[in-house]
Amino acid sequence: MKANVVILWIIGAFFLFAGGLYSYWAILDTGRIEWVGTVAMSLTGVMAIFIAVYMWWSIMRPSRGHVYPEDRLDAEIDDGDPELGHFSPWSWWPIILAAAISIFVMGIAISTFMLPIGLALIAVSLVGWVYEYYRGNFVQR
Amino acid sequence: MTATVTPDQGVSPSAKRKANIVVDYLTTTDHKKIGYMYLISSFLYFCIGGVMALMIRAQLWAPGLDIIPTQEQYNQLFTMHGTIMLLMFATPLFAAFANVLMPLQIGAPDVAFPRLNAFAYWLYSFGSLIAIAGFLTPQGAASFGWTAYAPLSDTAFSPGVGGHMWVLGLGISGFGTILGAVNFITTIITMRAPGMTMFRMSIFSWNVLVTSILVLIAFPVLAAALFGLAADRILDANVYDPAAGGALLWQHLFWFFGHPEVYIIALPFFGIVSEIVPVFSRKPIFGYKTLVGATIAIAALSVAVWAHHMYVTGSVLLPFFALMTMLIAVPTGVKIFNWIGTMWRGSLTFQSPMVWTLGFLVTFVFGGLTGVILGSPPLDFHISDTYFVVAHFHYVVFGTVVFAMFAGFYFWWPKWTGYKLNEKLGHIHFWLLFIGFHMTFLIQHWIGVVVMPRRYYTYLESDGVTWMNQLSTVGAMLLAVSMIPFFLNVYLTHRYGEKVTQDDPWGMARSLEWATSCPPPRHNFTSIPRVRSESPAFDLHYPEYAPRGHHQGEKKVSTAEGEQ
Amino acid sequence: MQGWLPSTPGLTNHVDRVVGLWTTSWIVLLAVGVIVWFLMLWAAVVYRRRKGQIGLPAQLRYNMPIEIFFTTVPVILVLGFFAFTARDQAAIEQPIEDPDVQITVYGKRWAWDFVYERDGQDSVYYESIQALNVPGSMEIDEDTIPTLYLPSNSSVEITLESRDVAHSFWIVEFLYKKDMLPGVTNYMYFETGDVEGVFTGKCAELCGEYHSMMLFNVEIVPPEEYQDYLDELEAQGNVGHPDSDLNPLQPTWGPEGTDNEELGN
Repeated sequence: MKANVVILWIIGAFFLFAGGLYSYWAILDTGRIEWVGTVAMSLTGVMAIFIAVYMWWSIMRPSRGHVYPEDRLDAEIDDGDPELGHFSPWSWWPIILAAAISIFVMGIAISTFMLPIGLALIAVSLVGWVYEYYRGNFVQR
Repeated sequence: MTATVTPDQGVSPSAKRKANIVVDYLTTTDHKKIGYMYLISSFLYFCIGGVMALMIRAQLWAPGLDIIPTQEQYNQLFTMHGTIMLLMFATPLFAAFANVLMPLQIGAPDVAFPRLNAFAYWLYSFGSLIAIAGFLTPQGAASFGWTAYAPLSDTAFSPGVGGHMWVLGLGISGFGTILGAVNFITTIITMRAPGMTMFRMSIFSWNVLVTSILVLIAFPVLAAALFGLAADRILDANVYDPAAGGALLWQHLFWFFGHPEVYIIALPFFGIVSEIVPVFSRKPIFGYKTLVGATIAIAALSVAVWAHHMYVTGSVLLPFFALMTMLIAVPTGVKIFNWIGTMWRGSLTFQSPMVWTLGFLVTFVFGGLTGVILGSPPLDFHISDTYFVVAHFHYVVFGTVVFAMFAGFYFWWPKWTGYKLNEKLGHIHFWLLFIGFHMTFLIQHWIGVVVMPRRYYTYLESDGVTWMNQLSTVGAMLLAVSMIPFFLNVYLTHRYGEKVTQDDPWGMARSLEWATSCPPPRHNFTSIPRVRSESPAFDLHYPEYAPRGHHQGEKKVSTAEGEQ
Repeated sequence: MQGWLPSTPGLTNHVDRVVGLWTTSWIVLLAVGVIVWFLMLWAAVVYRRRKGQIGLPAQLRYNMPIEIFFTTVPVILVLGFFAFTARDQAAIEQPIEDPDVQITVYGKRWAWDFVYERDGQDSVYYESIQALNVPGSMEIDEDTIPTLYLPSNSSVEITLESRDVAHSFWIVEFLYKKDMLPGVTNYMYFETGDVEGVFTGKCAELCGEYHSMMLFNVEIVPPEEYQDYLDELEAQGNVGHPDSDLNPLQPTWGPEGTDNEELGN
C-alpha cells in the first residue's frame, strides 16, 4: 500500500511540475499560456494525488500501522484472509446492460426511435445488475 | 490453503449449463474466459485489419491503379485499418493478456469486479461492431483517418451515418477500456497473495498496473473529445469550430489521448517480453527495480509529449516537446539494456517464445532510432506525414504488439489450453513473418524520405518510387502467408498434440502462474507456494537457488530485494 | 552525402543545415543501434546453452555500475542531440525581416491559390484546380499540376491559409512543410539560392477524397522571369485577391454568408 501511495505521489508531483514548466515556457516563448496542455497536465497531476490521498486516508490511516499480509516480506499464504468476498459465478446482466447502452447510442447515430427502447433496457438491466445478489437463489443472509 | 478459493454462493447450475457452451461464454465472469474472448475477438480484428492492409498495398502496386475503385473507399480502408489495429486489436489485446495472466501472477482467484470485467468486454465488443458496421451504411464507413482531424471529420466535409457510428462506437469501446483498467488497478492493489509485495510482482503485472493508470489518464480525454465531435456532427454544436481555434483544439485533445495510447499498447508487451527473456536465459530479470522505474518514467513522460505529432502545425512549443520526446529514449533504452543484461551470462535456449522475443528486440530498436529522428523538429518538418512516419510506427507498434503477442501465444499456450504448440512450425512462422515484415516496412522509410506522403491513393510515375512500393507489397503478401503455419500449428496441436501434464512445461518458468495446473482451475489455485521473490514458481521448483527466506523457518529476508 | 534526402546543396538557405543534422544524427544513432544489435547477437551466441550443459547459471539479479552507466550515457547523448536540434530549429523558424518576395498560398480541396504580393501595386494571383487524370485512366496527368513560381537569390515569406479543412504545404526538395489550418495563419521563411529548376510539392495532411491529387510544382526562375510571370498574371486580369470561385461546390467552414478572406486574414 505504501509503495502505491508513494508512486502516485511521484506521478502527481511530476505532472504538476510538467504542467507548470509547460505554461511557464509557453509564456516565455509565445507570451501566451497554452491552455489545453496546461489544464490537461495539471489535472492529470491532481488525479494522481487524489487517488494517493484517498488510499492513504481510507486504507492506510485506519489500519494504524498494521501492514497487510500482501505487503509483508515474510507473510505466509495462510496469513491471508480466508474469505476474500463474493465472486459472481456468472451473470447475464453485463451483456444485457452493454447491449442496452449500444442500442441507445445507435439511436443517437441512426434513428431516435431506438432511444426510448435503449433507455428502458438500461433502466431494467441496471436494476437487475444491482439487485442480482439480493433475490432468488442468491439471497444474502 | 484457504485464502484463494471462495465457493460460489448460491446454487451452482453448472451441470445444467454444461450443455450450452455459448450461454456459458455469454454469461461468464471468469477472468480467464473473458480474457480468451478478448484474445479471440482482437485476433479476428487483427485478421480483418490485415486484409484491409493487403488491399491498400495492392492499390499502391503501381501508379494509376484502381484496384480500390474510388478514392473515398480507399480513405475508408486506411481509416478503418488504423482504427481496427489500434483500438480493436492492440488495446483489447492488452486487456486480453492482462485478464488471463495478471490474477494468476499475483495469486488472486479472479479480478476484483468480475461482472464489471464482463461488462467491459461487451462494451468493447459492441462498440467495435458499431464502428465497423459503418461499412454497411449507404455512404460507407468513416473516411477521415483514424485521427479524425477537425474540421474534416465534421458533417460539412464527411457526412454520413458511418462517421456517426465511428465516433459513438469508439466512445462506447473506450468506456470498456476505462472500466477494464479500473478493474486491473483495484485487483493489483487489493488482491495480491500474502507475501506478494509490490516489488515481488512480475514485471508483466507491474506493466499492467502502469498501463492501466495510463488508460485512466488518456481514455477519458478521448471520450470527451469524441463526445464533442458527436455533438458537432449530430447536434450541430460548434465545439471544433475552426473560427474559434477548433482545428487545433481537436489535435491537442486527440494527441493527448493518442500518444499515451501508443504506450498503452506497448508497455504490456514489454511486460510479456520481460517474462519470457528470464525463462529462456535461466536467470532472473536483470535490474528489476530499474525496469520498474523505467516503466513508470516512460508512462509519465509519454503524457508530456503529445504535441510532437503537431510540430508542423506551427502552433506548439517545439523545444519543450522535443526535449520530452528525446528523454523517453532513455528509459526505453534502459529496458533494452536490461533485457540484454538478462541474457548476459545466462544459459540461453531458443524455443519459439524466445525467438519471437529476439525478433521483437531487433525490430523495436530500429523503431526507437527512427523515433529519435522524428522527435527532432528540423528533421520532422520534412518527414512528418510521410511514409517515413508510417514505417516508423509500424516498426514500433507491429514490432512490439505483434511480435510480443506471438511470443506470448507460444509461451502461454500450454498454460491456457494444456497443449504445447509445435516448435518447428513456430520457427517457420517466425521467419516468414520476420522477413515479410522487414520487406514491407523497411523500404517505406525511403519512400517517405524521397517523396511520398501517407494516405495517398496513388502516386506519380515520376516520383520514382514504384519499385519500392512493389517490394513493400510483396513483403505484405509474405506477411499474410506467414499466418498459414500459425493456423496450421493451432489446428495440428489441438488435433494431434500431446497433453501437458506438469504445471511448468518449460521446466524453468518463474512467475506464479506456472505453479498451478495447465489449464488452471476456475479460481486459479488449489494451493499457492510461499512467495519470497518475483519468481515464486522457480523458487518452488528449484529450492536450492531460491533466495534466503524462502525455506521454512527462515524469517529474515535478504535486503537486496526487500521493500519497506 | 545527404542520406537520400531529395535535395540539392544551396537550394534554400536551410537545406544544408537540415541535411547536416540528418546525416550526423543518423551516423550517431546507427552507431548506437549497431552496438545494441551486436550486444544482442553476442549475448545470444556466447551464452547459448551448449550440448550436455546441466544446471543453471549464477542467478545474477542486478549490477548497479552497469545500470548507472547505461542510464547516464543515453542522457548525455540525448541532451547533446537536443542542443543541436534546438539550434537548427530556431534558425529555420526565424522570421525574415523585410523579405524580397511575399506570397500567400491558400489550400482548398483539392488545389491551391497562389497570391503574389507586389510592392506598391495590387497583388496578382493564380487560382488552380486540382490535378486531372489522363483521360480514360486513373493515372495523374502531370501537365495539369499547378505551379508556384519563385525568384532565385531572393528571400521569401510564404503565408499559409486554408479555405476549408487542414492541409499541409510540403515542398519536397526544400525539406520543409507546414500545415495550413483553417482559422490559423502560418508562415514559412527561406532564401533561394542560385539553383533553378522545377521541384515537387504535395499536400501532406489528409483533406478528403482527392487528397492524393492535391499536388503542385515549384519553379525557381531568375528574378526577371518571375517579374514577367507576375505581369502575365496581371495581363490576364488576375489582380487583387482570389475568392473561392474555383472552389464553389465545397462547403466552407465560416458562418453563412461570411467572406472567407476576411476570416482568413
